[in-house]
Amino acid sequence: MSDKALLDWPAETDDPVPPASWGRRSPAAPLLPWVFAGLVVALVAGRALLAPYLTAPALQTWSTIFVAICVQALPFLVLGVLLSAAITALVPPSFWTRALPRRPYAAVPVAGAAGAVLPGCECASVPVASGLMARGVTPAAALAFLLASPAINPVVLVATAVAFPGRPEMVVARFAASLVVAVLAGWLWLRFGRAEWLRVPRASSERGWRAFVAAMRHDLLHAGGFLVVGGIAAATLNVLVPRSWLAAVAEIGWLSVLVLALLAVVLSICSEADAFVAASLTAFSPTAKLAFLVVGPMVDLKLIALQAGTFGRSFAARFVPLTLTLAIGVSAVTGWVLL
Amino acid sequence: MSRLAQGLVLLLLGGAVLRISAFTTEYLNYVKPGFRPFLIAAGAVVFALGVITLVQEWRRPQDTGREPSRWTEAADGRGGHAGGRPDGREDGHAGEHGGGHAAGPTGGHAGGYGDGHGHDHSRGPRVAWLMCLPVCAIFLVAPPALGSFAAARDDVAPPPPPREVAEGYEPLRGDGPIAMPIGEFVGRAWGDAKRSLAGKQVRLTGFVVRSKQPDVWYVARMQLNCCAADAFALKVAVRGAPAPPENTWVEVTGVWIPPRSDKLPLGTVPPRIRAINVTKVPRPVEPYE
Repeated sequence: MSDKALLDWPAETDDPVPPASWGRRSPAAPLLPWVFAGLVVALVAGRALLAPYLTAPALQTWSTIFVAICVQALPFLVLGVLLSAAITALVPPSFWTRALPRRPYAAVPVAGAAGAVLPGCECASVPVASGLMARGVTPAAALAFLLASPAINPVVLVATAVAFPGRPEMVVARFAASLVVAVLAGWLWLRFGRAEWLRVPRASSERGWRAFVAAMRHDLLHAGGFLVVGGIAAATLNVLVPRSWLAAVAEIGWLSVLVLALLAVVLSICSEADAFVAASLTAFSPTAKLAFLVVGPMVDLKLIALQAGTFGRSFAARFVPLTLTLAIGVSAVTGWVLL
Repeated sequence: MSRLAQGLVLLLLGGAVLRISAFTTEYLNYVKPGFRPFLIAAGAVVFALGVITLVQEWRRPQDTGREPSRWTEAADGRGGHAGGRPDGREDGHAGEHGGGHAAGPTGGHAGGYGDGHGHDHSRGPRVAWLMCLPVCAIFLVAPPALGSFAAARDDVAPPPPPREVAEGYEPLRGDGPIAMPIGEFVGRAWGDAKRSLAGKQVRLTGFVVRSKQPDVWYVARMQLNCCAADAFALKVAVRGAPAPPENTWVEVTGVWIPPRSDKLPLGTVPPRIRAINVTKVPRPVEPYE
């Protein structure tokens, strides 16, 4: 199909002809495999040669945490990318228009509640939401799904119940607060958001196996790259900020809520594990812990990097503060009512 | 990023993940043991994707010549335009794919990486090169399990999860030293109203962390919930034995020293043990608790 496009290529385009990238490929194509072969040899030999010298404790701790964040997130990212590629390449577009209510304001809460079925953490939800948008789902509804799914799926709720034994109200509060934040954020985006802020990922009209592989490769490389950016930021702050600073502020009610919310942003813990970390922060009030649990799956460093990469910087610059404010506000109110 | 490079990066990443999960136990330095099947599956998927990409690249028809194939690829990847004009600008206005975002100022074709996403699927995103970074870290730094540097950052460990406390502890039976995880020791020392540790000889395995006080050092173990990013240190203060070099793995046999006062809130002072015997041991395969 594309050969035709090639022949029809209009000469009057005002992009540089030939474009700068044209010449690049010819020398690179035969060279690249050798560069990589050399890299593999360097990596294998480098371990024996270099690893004994790279032993500064701070560097080792940083790289352990960095690799841990990447390694831990990868299976979820792959799951999300698989689902997203399946959505874009295998599910017909008409499915989504039938599955979701036609009116956008009604579609937002439905999509948010649908987040309960995706068992994964926040790394999986970004590619899936992007795949939904590419398939024509209202962006606000896809965003509600993006925010709700990592916090209200069964795996995360069970983990929360295990981490807070005998306190089912914590699970209820987490579920309610997360869903409310997701729906509110979706509605606000629907009401005030502008189309040009959000870069809606484009879906290819191709379907089938080749499109599936292409979509998966693209999403994985893209999201994976931004996951690494987030991992670098989170590992750096993890090493630089001692957690003992926290104990000092645990006493002050409103400040403790803010501090734990910011800690959730900085630590970038997977939403399936964050309940255990929250439970271990015994000095803090239940409301502050709830803020930690609600903010973490919606806003954290690796997620900001992923969102900025997937939906564009002008989107992230508006959506992240909106979500963070809503999450802190709603958890404060929920904590006050329920806990 | 050409498709060849994309395939090779995926191959590297998948290979590195398979190496630490399927062929060695290095993954235990980063995540919980139960994570292994997921890691192997993810590594295999990424590796297979790299292989498929390379095979597709290999088989790609070369008859159109190298440079035209550049365009073939470009139009191919942009999809959504079957038979359409490969001019991103006009297509964008036609609203063929909603939002018209691909119609950036550089147009939608292969030359323009544009704002990061206004591109086609065959030119991979440049940010993907960063995925080589964890691979390099795994191979070149070979990050070890978190040790005394990380443990020393937290002054005092948080109390153990309340679950164990709520269930209560079994009384300790048997004579001779009882081996127990450091987490259990801390839990019994802090949370057990029946004081089951009193007078019992226990054996703890952990690594050595120096203390600021001269005659005390810590035997410590990091506890994970999910991955090393959420690790926190469980520490027990050791008295009555000279401190081994920092970060050595040791087995400490000794008896719990009950706190002088019960009024100290939990988590402010690590529990203490009077050492009877300290022996060096090799690092356990699973370094975390």
